[in-house]
Amino acid sequence: MNSFSALIPLLIIVFASLCIMILEAFLKKENKDYLAYISIIFLVVCGFFLVRAWNKDFSYFNGNLFLDNLSLFFSFIFLITTFLVILISMKYISLQGVNCGEYYSLLLLALSGMLIMVSSGDLLVIFLGLEVLSISSYSLAGLRRKDEKSSEAAIKYFLLGCFASAFLVYGIALLYGATYSTDIASIINHFQSGESLGLMALIGLGMFVIGFGFKIAVVPFHMWTPDVYEGAPTPITAFFSVGPKAVGFAVLLRVLYPYLKNVQDSSKAIFLLLCIISVLTMVVGNLIALRQTNLKRILAYSSIAHAGYLLIAILAQDNASLVFYLTVYIFMNIGAFAAVIALGKKDKEYLELEDYAGIGFKYPWIGATFSVFLLSLAGFPPTGGFLAKFYVFSAAVRQDLVPLVIIGVLASLISVFYYLRIIVYMYMKEPSYEVDINIDNPGLFLVLFLCLYGVLQLGIFPGNVLILIKQAVTALL
Amino acid sequence: MAHFLFFLLAIVCIASVLGMIISKNQAYNALFLVLAFACMGGFFALLDAPFIAVVQIIIYAGAIMILFIFVIMMINLREGLPPERKKWTLYFALGIAVVLFVELILTMKSAFSSLKSGGIEKIGSPTDIGRLLFTEYLYPFEITSILIIAALVGAIVLVKKRDKE
Repeated sequence: MNSFSALIPLLIIVFASLCIMILEAFLKKENKDYLAYISIIFLVVCGFFLVRAWNKDFSYFNGNLFLDNLSLFFSFIFLITTFLVILISMKYISLQGVNCGEYYSLLLLALSGMLIMVSSGDLLVIFLGLEVLSISSYSLAGLRRKDEKSSEAAIKYFLLGCFASAFLVYGIALLYGATYSTDIASIINHFQSGESLGLMALIGLGMFVIGFGFKIAVVPFHMWTPDVYEGAPTPITAFFSVGPKAVGFAVLLRVLYPYLKNVQDSSKAIFLLLCIISVLTMVVGNLIALRQTNLKRILAYSSIAHAGYLLIAILAQDNASLVFYLTVYIFMNIGAFAAVIALGKKDKEYLELEDYAGIGFKYPWIGATFSVFLLSLAGFPPTGGFLAKFYVFSAAVRQDLVPLVIIGVLASLISVFYYLRIIVYMYMKEPSYEVDINIDNPGLFLVLFLCLYGVLQLGIFPGNVLILIKQAVTALL
Repeated sequence: MAHFLFFLLAIVCIASVLGMIISKNQAYNALFLVLAFACMGGFFALLDAPFIAVVQIIIYAGAIMILFIFVIMMINLREGLPPERKKWTLYFALGIAVVLFVELILTMKSAFSSLKSGGIEKIGSPTDIGRLLFTEYLYPFEITSILIIAALVGAIVLVKKRDKE
């Protein structure tokens, strides 16, 4: 249905971001916390409109913008992500000396980029959305300006991000040249009809996948991830590890699912490319994580490894399990980062493994929730992480991808080692020095609780969410 | 006349690009690049696309070059680092050059055959572009405004003066 309602969620977010920029100029320094509350209010309003649009299939701008159930579901997940990230940032930015106004407005601009990307089927629009997301991300990474590492993160992210965008644009241009369209549906149609120019289109699609490979951090294109994750302000790292990754998979799902399903002859090459990337990602990501001692770097490599499992879901063409995995992943990863952020005080963050010795008994809440998130990332029942991996692997077995599944299971066995090592440090090591932290941080504890709830709810009673996801992915068929 | 202009522009364009690569002085490099862009603008004019020609000159030869020159002025590179020569990069560059050359020949073949088949359609008039921007491409066009504000805010945030500490 062609309706202006399709545009409203995006408008609200952009408006919120501009509002915060203006308000920042007028608010006193002590009152800057209001900016966070205002952005949360806007997020809630936007969420309300998203929920109302469910099953309505609004579209606008000649179908350039549409809100089918899949984009609604993803948009809603991104809203939750941003909501959680804002909550964990509130104390952090005053403790670490980051300025608030532009922080929240850039975060909301990044969110608007993600909303643009998931609610369009046109590659041109998707590219522009990606640029909105990336450009806001580059500056978010460099916001901790007292710290050299933060600037390093920003410049690294910027350079490699530009590189990735170049691949992406070249890919889109080649696809356009081969199929005379930037619309995903007609590109797939063109592939199906099997007219000539197959090679050009195939190279285009390959470049497209590579461009997004940088964004979702899969292995040959992952070099930037650990440095950027380490240098960026920690709440922003939490955002990077879920936001751009989830949106990248959402777009890949839209492009690759119909492609792998409908195009038989030429899709072999892309299928093989994805298989290789997936195996490399799982193996390399998990192996390098074993040697890390910085918590942010461990979580960075773990997020790389998770991209590998997610690719298996794409290869198995099981959309529901991919979306479910992403949903769980958001809760457990933001939860884990929230626990890392909890261990900090003014101008100081505790990020080394050594710092975590004895934390489990000294701060039982942080220790316990962090352990649950780590177990979920490793894939232990009864957490959501277990079910997510279980669905993905069983879907892959049904599609006769047994070798991939074996590698995946072995890789997650390796990952158990470094996740458990953190828990061992928290509960079984004697602290050699005092770690004192600022625990007056209600927003952060709310996030820990919400993520704990999310991980357990999705692990024990996933029924309701699965029904929603099943409804959402029918949009792809 | 058109042929004469085409070859004149082509020779000047290639010469200025070569000059840009060979010259060691950054300011000259930038100026050679301006010349090359201006020649490109001339090509568009020859192809009956006056609007694109003007835009090419204003944006590339004007705005982007100013940026380049500012950067050169601010960074103040005296002496470029001596180029590192590695064997494999040379072979790699050679390989890519061969691929590009083959591509060029292939496109030239098809370009000449299409030239024979008929005249060129007049494209890229301001009316056409305006109409497309505000009908078919309205949504992407509006998104660019978000993109620009994100870039502006980001750039200002990263380079503004720090608060007194």
